Amino acid sequence: MASATDAVSTLMVQKFGVEPAAVRPEIPLYELRMDSLALEEFRILIEEQLEIDLEDAALTSRNTVGELVEVVELVHSRTLR
Amino acid sequence: MSRPVNPPFTAAVTGLGLVTAAGAGTDNVWRNVTRGVVAASSVGPREELRDLPCDFMYAIGPDLLDTTRLLGVATQRLMDRFAQLAVLAAREAVADAGLDPSVWDSGRVAVVIGSAHGGLPFYDEQHTALTTKGPRRVSPKLAPLTVVNSAASSVCMDLGVRGPSMAVSTACSSGTVAIGTAHQMLRTGACDIAIAGGAESVCSRLLIASACQMKAVSTRRDDPAAACRPFDADRDGFVVGEGSGLLVMERPEHATARGARIRAGIAGYGATSDSYSAVAPDPDGKGIENALRTALTDAGVTPSDIGHVNAHGTSTVFNDLIEATMLHRLLGADPLVTSTKAMTGHTLGAAGGIETALTVLALEHQLVPPTANLESLDPRVPVEVVAKASRPATFDCAVKTSLGFGGHNAALVLTRG
Repeated sequence: MASATDAVSTLMVQKFGVEPAAVRPEIPLYELRMDSLALEEFRILIEEQLEIDLEDAALTSRNTVGELVEVVELVHSRTLR
Repeated sequence: MSRPVNPPFTAAVTGLGLVTAAGAGTDNVWRNVTRGVVAASSVGPREELRDLPCDFMYAIGPDLLDTTRLLGVATQRLMDRFAQLAVLAAREAVADAGLDPSVWDSGRVAVVIGSAHGGLPFYDEQHTALTTKGPRRVSPKLAPLTVVNSAASSVCMDLGVRGPSMAVSTACSSGTVAIGTAHQMLRTGACDIAIAGGAESVCSRLLIASACQMKAVSTRRDDPAAACRPFDADRDGFVVGEGSGLLVMERPEHATARGARIRAGIAGYGATSDSYSAVAPDPDGKGIENALRTALTDAGVTPSDIGHVNAHGTSTVFNDLIEATMLHRLLGADPLVTSTKAMTGHTLGAAGGIETALTVLALEHQLVPPTANLESLDPRVPVEVVAKASRPATFDCAVKTSLGFGGHNAALVLTRG
């Protein structure tokens, strides 16, 4: 099973056209053109792929890639348990 | 009270952009349309339409146009396909006009793009997500991608246009009405440059299933490439196509001041409404006749000046007969009439944009493309329809006619540049 980190970066590259090299933990999402609309779309795609529920996760484009991965990983590990 | 008489106004056409099933890029489209042979690869069955009475349409294959490579994922994800086609046509038209979006006065540039159905495929897809997976799986992009104006807004974003922009939606005359609207905007000085025409892409099982029920589309499933045959005695309905055709139009002083090549002029525009039926055209063609009369008057030309008509010519029994009878009544038997729809399919809201661009090319080249698939002219059609091969001719004025469901008629008069 793909890790949450891999799933996040793969989706960002394939579905949002982010350069693979730009997906670094410290980069804020808005710098990758991941605006609020993109984040809501991202939420649906990652939920479907990892079979998780991110409904209650607060995501904004000011968050960094690392913070996004952290949230996804947290929910993902809880779901697995 | 007498009607106001506007001083004549001829908008300069300085750029063309075309993406159609007959080719990607204006030169390719013109070469194929003047050859008049329907490529088997341009029209055929689609998985989305499986088992429908009409299971085929005209489409732009990925070998002709790789939208993901040209637009990039980040840009493409914010557009449904009709808007993607519009952006690619607009890029070509603007480059053809020799305009540089990094230096133009962006507030003086307008965009007017016609479309009948906008992002219907995305609507369809998301409705399926709603019914099969529930509301939490519906995309947040539904409104921005499906609204009919998203072709115009996408072009504005792509090229940095900051003047007035809008969609025009009058069913199958949308593209022609968009160019007419741009003509009026240039005439009143609302802008110096207008990017205008149409865009459509509706490979939608829902829409085609309904068109089949309406008995409007051809059911020649055994030979899709021969199915669209305007003015032919054996025609049995239209065949849907996707595409975009856009013109760069300018106030003539603006075009002249920057030394632009003027490919043709848009000299007159007329639009009317049948007030008759939701679908059928007025059986006497009075609406389209009045639109054409208005356009001729607007251009200050007489019927005998018209050498060529790019007709609506959808390949339905009624449209072609009503339109041809009207053209004969108003213009006589001399103008060389053609329908280019057998090459592109009926691109609905894009048709007027694509076909006006082809009319510009016909004026430039003094060459009328043939009506592909016209084997045996319907004996009730009283006009001179060009068939088999392109016909060289000498003409200074040409006409584009369009009729839309709902009784929306539009006509343009074009002049040599």
